[in-house]
Amino acid sequence: MDFWSLMWADFKSIVTDKAIAITLFGGVLFYSVLYPLPYLHEVPTKQQIVVVDGDHSSLSRQLIRHADASPKLEVVAELNNINQAEDWIASGRAHGYMVIPEGFRRDLIRQKGVTLAYGGDANYFLIYSAVLEGLVSAGIDAGKYVQFNGLLARGSSAKQVKHDLEPIKLNSVPAFNPSLGYTPYVVPGVLLLVLHQTLLIGAGILGAGQWGREGYWQQVPAMKLIFARVSVFALIYSLFTSFYVGFCNYWYGVSVQGVLSQVVLFLVPFVICTAIAGVAFSCMFTRRDLPTQVLLLISMPILFVSGFIWPFELIPSPLIWIAQVIPAIPSIQGMLQLNQMGASWSSVAGFWWQLWGLALVYLLLAYLGVRYRLNSK
Amino acid sequence: MKQLIKRELIALWNDPWQLALVSYIPLVGIFGLWWLFSAGLPRELPVAIVDQDQSQISRMLVRRLQANSVITPIHYQDINSAKASMESAETYAMVVLPFQLNRDLLTGHQPTIDIRYNSQYLLVGKLLSSQIQLSLADGLKSKALLKQLAAGVPMAQAEVNLNLVKTQVSALYNANSNYVVFLLPPILLALGQLLAMLVFANSLNRELRQETMTEWFSLGTRRVLWAKMLVYTPLIVLQGRLILTLLYQYLGLPLAGVFGQLLLAQIVMLLAVWLLVLTIFFLLQDAARVISFCTALFAPAFPFMGITFPTQEMPQLAQWWRKLMPSSHYIDTHVGVVSYGQDFAVFVQQVTSYWGFLLLVPVIVVLARRVRREWSAEASTQPMNEAP
Repeated sequence: MDFWSLMWADFKSIVTDKAIAITLFGGVLFYSVLYPLPYLHEVPTKQQIVVVDGDHSSLSRQLIRHADASPKLEVVAELNNINQAEDWIASGRAHGYMVIPEGFRRDLIRQKGVTLAYGGDANYFLIYSAVLEGLVSAGIDAGKYVQFNGLLARGSSAKQVKHDLEPIKLNSVPAFNPSLGYTPYVVPGVLLLVLHQTLLIGAGILGAGQWGREGYWQQVPAMKLIFARVSVFALIYSLFTSFYVGFCNYWYGVSVQGVLSQVVLFLVPFVICTAIAGVAFSCMFTRRDLPTQVLLLISMPILFVSGFIWPFELIPSPLIWIAQVIPAIPSIQGMLQLNQMGASWSSVAGFWWQLWGLALVYLLLAYLGVRYRLNSK
Repeated sequence: MKQLIKRELIALWNDPWQLALVSYIPLVGIFGLWWLFSAGLPRELPVAIVDQDQSQISRMLVRRLQANSVITPIHYQDINSAKASMESAETYAMVVLPFQLNRDLLTGHQPTIDIRYNSQYLLVGKLLSSQIQLSLADGLKSKALLKQLAAGVPMAQAEVNLNLVKTQVSALYNANSNYVVFLLPPILLALGQLLAMLVFANSLNRELRQETMTEWFSLGTRRVLWAKMLVYTPLIVLQGRLILTLLYQYLGLPLAGVFGQLLLAQIVMLLAVWLLVLTIFFLLQDAARVISFCTALFAPAFPFMGITFPTQEMPQLAQWWRKLMPSSHYIDTHVGVVSYGQDFAVFVQQVTSYWGFLLLVPVIVVLARRVRREWSAEASTQPMNEAP
């Protein structure tokens, strides 16, 4: 059997095997829609808050109007006390509250300090931060407004007053994901993980169904089988990878800063290394329903250890060391830096070499594994 | 019935992978994920500092940043190297203290301090942005206080002038914004749901693999199913109890309600999971495909729970898909019990949200009958084929 017909035979068994075809073609398409689906609205807006107004003055009403005008907030009710506010939050009718103390306006005009109390439901961090950002900026504005008028009344010039209130400007700007959207944050990393997992599953089911049975795979040397299989998977997955990194990133509005040639260069060892790892991994199984189960269980840990959700600085180092053997980890890190954060090639070269190194190690393992599986009938 | 449960237990004992799924894999998974997030509060995250002023005030501001537990300032000589460090994720934010910062302040100009934060790593970036601004604002306040004092404002008044509106912020139900409280329950729930799905799917698939489907049908379709549920439901609830023990008793996370409701809610959730798996099993009748389909369905349960990204912000389609996941029904009860200490009436109301899963029961019955007919037809044709 020559190399091409071996590749063709492998390709045919991938496409005709329903379990593999569903995972590869179905899974890759399905997940490209399903994973970004919850995040399509990007940022939480119009979070419901309730207000406890103890002052009932012109200024407190202005503050409430300003809070309501914030894109992040929507004032849904004015309540009498803070216990009612907590009831509203516990029943899910509101996610935050603001308490304006009695004498708010009078104290501000008399240059006495006042305290505004904010609270938010910290069960949901994204809602909580939206509520707080909205409330804090509304509160600061109200204070500034009073100070501004007070200083003007005492005879300072408008320009001078502005400067006194804000001697230094803090210009805080998000880099790499300018809209602070959730899709650009999650999609690039998760989609790479989907590619990685479905490839390993596909190769795993294919191998597990063949070992110990008669077929074309018995008639060729181990190394030839490995190279043919890796080539087939690499070809299929270069299409999938192009679809994900090319089209999906564009479709979901992910900020892309990489140079095309460098991105392609980086993805080559990702696909090859994962395909070899898939063949090596398949040697661990003889039951076709097991590879999916193992990979399903380690998907979430891989995602969380890949460093873009929970920073590396906070992950216990033994976990990071163990994770380095998984091709997805250097790939996700490298791709985020190269393609999303615009890093130079030299700063991701380490990940690139790591992938090639892993490919070699998995090639050895695949050789030992496939030889063992082909010899033991 | 005893006989059937024994049959199930023997099968469990003889399947090493199934045994692993109900014993050490949950332990390793729960412990590993907890360990991953055990830091709980983000701290000492590297921030690039480019101090172009090298004045007393710029050094004071860096010391303020240093004093913040979230920030570890790292000095860079120029903006380009700081930018490169951000691009390679060595630092998550950068602060540029501009040339002549001190002089501009003294001479009444308004200098600008530039802050850039990595929003590709959204969680870290947003946290650092607010913490850096807090620290810097605090540092600048002490400078403004001096200025006021120099202008002859009495100390007490000067302090009030600077902080005219004070704020008191309370993070309800998670007082110090701990990520263990926030993330670990939904993550472990997602893991538990996956394990439950796999265990049940495997126990069904076993009948296919060992070709005991006819035996199953002759023993009584429903009775064998009851036996499976009676064996696996307690085993999975035990895992759930272990998770609750770890979170709310060993780690001592805040808990407003009682466990009883949560365990009941877990049983209801498991019944919903069983129904979904049964439907897929009778529909596909192939071990690998059943697992693949269930995986496709259950793997993305976590983002749909609505903890990391709020439910009401999801598109309508996502909200419908969310209803398909038993875990998203359970998480509402979980949050209600743990945070709000909800009473039993609310729980009963939440359980009714599972009604849609009951629609699966007739579907399962129809599919099961079809499968049964096919197997009996096969059993009756086989001897005839072999006879001649």
